[in-house]
Amino acid sequence: MIDFIDYLLGGISSGAIIALMALALVLVWRSTRVVNFAQLGQAMFTTYVALTVRELTGSWFLGLIIAMAAGLVVGVIVHFLVIRPVKRLDTSGAIIATFGVLIALEALAAMVWGGDPEAFPPPINNSGYEAFGRIWPFSPYDLLVLASVVVLVLALSVVFTRTNVGLAMRASAFNPEVARLSGVRVNRMLVLGWAIAGLVGAVAGVLVAPLSTLSPTSFDIFLVFAFTAAVIGGLDSLVGAVAFGIGTGLVIALVSGYSDSSNAPLVALVLLVLNLLFKPEGVFSHHKARAV
Amino acid sequence: MLRIDGLSVSYGAVEALKNVSLDVPPGRVTAVIGANGAGKSTLMRTLAGLEKPLTGRVLFNDEDITGGKPEDIVRTGIALVPEGRSTIPDLTVEENLKLGGMWRTHAQRATSLTRVYALFPVLGERRDLGADTLSGGERQQLAIGRALMTGPQALLLDEPSLGLAPLIVTQILELVELMARDSGLAVLLVEQNAATALRVAKTGIVLNLGEIVKSGPAQEIAQDEELRHAYLGY
Repeated sequence: MIDFIDYLLGGISSGAIIALMALALVLVWRSTRVVNFAQLGQAMFTTYVALTVRELTGSWFLGLIIAMAAGLVVGVIVHFLVIRPVKRLDTSGAIIATFGVLIALEALAAMVWGGDPEAFPPPINNSGYEAFGRIWPFSPYDLLVLASVVVLVLALSVVFTRTNVGLAMRASAFNPEVARLSGVRVNRMLVLGWAIAGLVGAVAGVLVAPLSTLSPTSFDIFLVFAFTAAVIGGLDSLVGAVAFGIGTGLVIALVSGYSDSSNAPLVALVLLVLNLLFKPEGVFSHHKARAV
Repeated sequence: MLRIDGLSVSYGAVEALKNVSLDVPPGRVTAVIGANGAGKSTLMRTLAGLEKPLTGRVLFNDEDITGGKPEDIVRTGIALVPEGRSTIPDLTVEENLKLGGMWRTHAQRATSLTRVYALFPVLGERRDLGADTLSGGERQQLAIGRALMTGPQALLLDEPSLGLAPLIVTQILELVELMARDSGLAVLLVEQNAATALRVAKTGIVLNLGEIVKSGPAQEIAQDEELRHAYLGY
């Protein structure tokens, strides 16, 4: 029983980070109906930016802020340079093009920063809290991660539900034609979707890097988990992405704890298959069915 | 106010509109009637900027708006209520309304919102509910309300009777007619349901296979039996 609690506690922060990554995928899907497989490549790239800033200035926080700004910019660049021109021809082409962007970003990062894994130490203590005579697998850094995710998700939900821009973005996602007829500049909302997704992904990258090391391909595995969470959540539901992001993190922690962490991707695949078999439209989706 | 001059629209090889010219004056309802496939919706979608015309011009207050984008055309003062499902069920009633005319000032939007709630009290009562909880008639009111939120001088109504009970259609159209008279709104109404449309309209225009075959006072058109048999099917 104590093992179970340990595993769950250990899964909370990675679950929160997966939630952010899933959120980024959902934001892009909602704005352009494209699954951005380069999302975590973008996050990897901006995390390297954060690492560089941190090495130059000694400030983790400054690194995070610059990475967020870089995430916005990279998101907008990818949208204009790749997605918009390719999507004019073909939507599935745009999805495949995001794989191209992923490979290009990984190659670029390897050229700039080298292919060897780099340490990205946590800014604060990452050893577990001690209580009741034992050490729990939950550290001050985990708390920082959790707090950052909660603040970001709350900020996003305020933007989406309480502001005109948020309303315009939601309307553009649900019904672009009605949005345009109402006067919303839908194309700008799409760009904004990619920008915000880039920012959210950048935060996820900076937060997740200390849990392992940073290399051009070190985030690839998280794409599997984030994609699983986003799809199960319904791909267009922000709430679903967060809920199933955390859920996926916890399941993976349990699987890794009771068996071996190398089984985690397999379990993600099983979850995905079960979801597509029994609830293909996703748990929180607005649509009645999705072709599989 | 709204002047359409020699408009032609094609979908590939299919000519949906052929050399259509008409005027939509302020303060009254102009009805375009005709059977399914007559080109009525194409006309409305082209005026709103959703389709690009092959030839012809659209003038609004003497300004050439031909081929403009929908989000720009709505800013000039032309609002389209498109056919069917034109409310967003995932948003609340008030969010659907607030979507209209975001470029306008806070005060302008507040005035419009008060006006829409006065016009359609049921929307005010349900402002915080999801638009998916509304009945068909209420949803049509919401769609018209959203268009009014953009502060239009011309309102384009595409087949508002679709799927609604006759009594509700009459209520909504009479309200629109009253609005046109009171506030000088130019209303272009497109309907398959010719009898109802011609009751509230001043001018009737009969469209058949993309061409105007007859236009004149609505009453005259309503009483023209030959026309009814030939083009309107009743």
